[in-house]
Amino acid sequence: MSAHTLSFSTRLNRDSNTVSFLSNLECSGCNTKFSHKQVHTFCPLCQSPLVARYNLDALRQKVDRDQFSRRPKGMWRWHELLPVLNPENQVTLGEGDTALLSLPRIGSSLGLLNLYVKEESSNPTGSFKARGLASAISKAKELGIKKVIIPTAGNAGGAMAAYAARAGLRAHIFMPKDTPFANIEESRISGAEVVLVDGLISEAAGLSGEKARTEGWFDLSTFKEPYRMEGKKVMGLELAEAFDWELPDVIVYPTGGGTGLVGMWKAFDELATLGWLNSPKRPRMVAVQADGCAPVVKAFEEKASFCDFWLGAHTIASGLRVPKSFADHLILHDIYESNGIAIAVSDEAILEAQSELATQEGIFAAPEGAATLTAVKELVKTGWIQPEEKVVLFNTGSGLKYLNYHSAPPAPTLAGNDPSFPH
Amino acid sequence: MGHKILCIEDNPDNMTLLKRVLESRGYTLVEARNGLDGVAKAETEDVKLVLLDINLPDIDGYEVAHRLRSSANPNVSTIPIIAITANALKGDAEKALSAGCNLYMSKPINLQELWARVETLVSPKK
Repeated sequence: MSAHTLSFSTRLNRDSNTVSFLSNLECSGCNTKFSHKQVHTFCPLCQSPLVARYNLDALRQKVDRDQFSRRPKGMWRWHELLPVLNPENQVTLGEGDTALLSLPRIGSSLGLLNLYVKEESSNPTGSFKARGLASAISKAKELGIKKVIIPTAGNAGGAMAAYAARAGLRAHIFMPKDTPFANIEESRISGAEVVLVDGLISEAAGLSGEKARTEGWFDLSTFKEPYRMEGKKVMGLELAEAFDWELPDVIVYPTGGGTGLVGMWKAFDELATLGWLNSPKRPRMVAVQADGCAPVVKAFEEKASFCDFWLGAHTIASGLRVPKSFADHLILHDIYESNGIAIAVSDEAILEAQSELATQEGIFAAPEGAATLTAVKELVKTGWIQPEEKVVLFNTGSGLKYLNYHSAPPAPTLAGNDPSFPH
Repeated sequence: MGHKILCIEDNPDNMTLLKRVLESRGYTLVEARNGLDGVAKAETEDVKLVLLDINLPDIDGYEVAHRLRSSANPNVSTIPIIAITANALKGDAEKALSAGCNLYMSKPINLQELWARVETLVSPKK
């Protein structure tokens, strides 16, 4: 047991006897309740995603809001609002508590006084996917699941492979054959069985779903089990804490499957129910997609409740190449409820923003993260974002995983004794 | 009785699920377990919508959609079709739409969405 884990467990016992206040699962479509003590995927009655519910009244009585900031850093310091009942089942690689950085130069150039980025690339495996998979793998371990399977656009595969290895579970991953090389190799080196699919994540999902059904693998697809969202939810808890229990005005989030957006909105609901927010004001949620795959944007513009399947999806931001999320109605619901917006940006603009973040602020963002800056520029231009508003971008991963998209000429190479170089 | 919806689906569990949700909403489900039976029932029954599984034991769903769109009966050739697939393969959605389907959905189908889609494609019940 690591020193970090030891001190965390000791602190747990002092804080409360109840590790998690998880009470049940509830269908997001038909509201049917299910036991959290059994293995569930999605609702068997209406096939909508299941959502974890907590006994927030009991939590409020036993836990003080300010307790969280005194605990050792990491996602699991929010354990009462996470689904794992026994701390021995918490599988951690040090996820969570990522930096919230101001963007002074870019903010100044856009006339924004309070522009921030939540830097998720510092998570284990280099992306925000670590949060969701830490939660889902931990709960899978607690429920006695031995082998897990996932279709992925990239980063979720790497994260699942790492956490499954940490938990001692078998991992099987289906990903598009043009998934970034880093995602393929990080999955393989962690021992996962990787299958490359000639198609998109939707096709990978079809194949992995079939394998799950026929061979008994537990399917960790986005929103097809209830617990990945719980890990992602912690991004919202961290934001609330960082802004002294008031929420920013605008959250700009790259939206593929949408777990983070829906998870953060759930976090804000739970915090409001707990009475832990100093202000009732909620952020406006901005879903950012790519021009080449923008089902949420299209549905938003049509004021629809569900997305149409996006044909011919293409973008360099592989995490945004999701033709239709299983939880599209939840994404759209939360955007509408927050008075938010959905916006699509071009790959060219994404690459420009990626370069700008690196040269102006020293942040080598994933294309998905860079897309949020592009969206902010558009929203400032139209007046949708005001200069004094607190705006948080999400950089969901490290640009290092996408080096194959960069075609800059190689850096000059000099021989050690090159006479043109001053010695 | 409400409008008839033809479901062409070889998986009995999926058929049961669809029957439950649609009949609970006042529709009458006409069942076909293979593609040829589905085409025949579309021609003879007064159905207002077709739920079409793509993976069928005889002719596939694309061929079913093609035959329905080629029907001499204008009520059949213009009937709304929702294509449904289990194992989405590359280009399935494009193939379904180019075969004449109005909409493409992949399993597992969110029944709230299916209901919303059916409502928009079928005129109010008699």
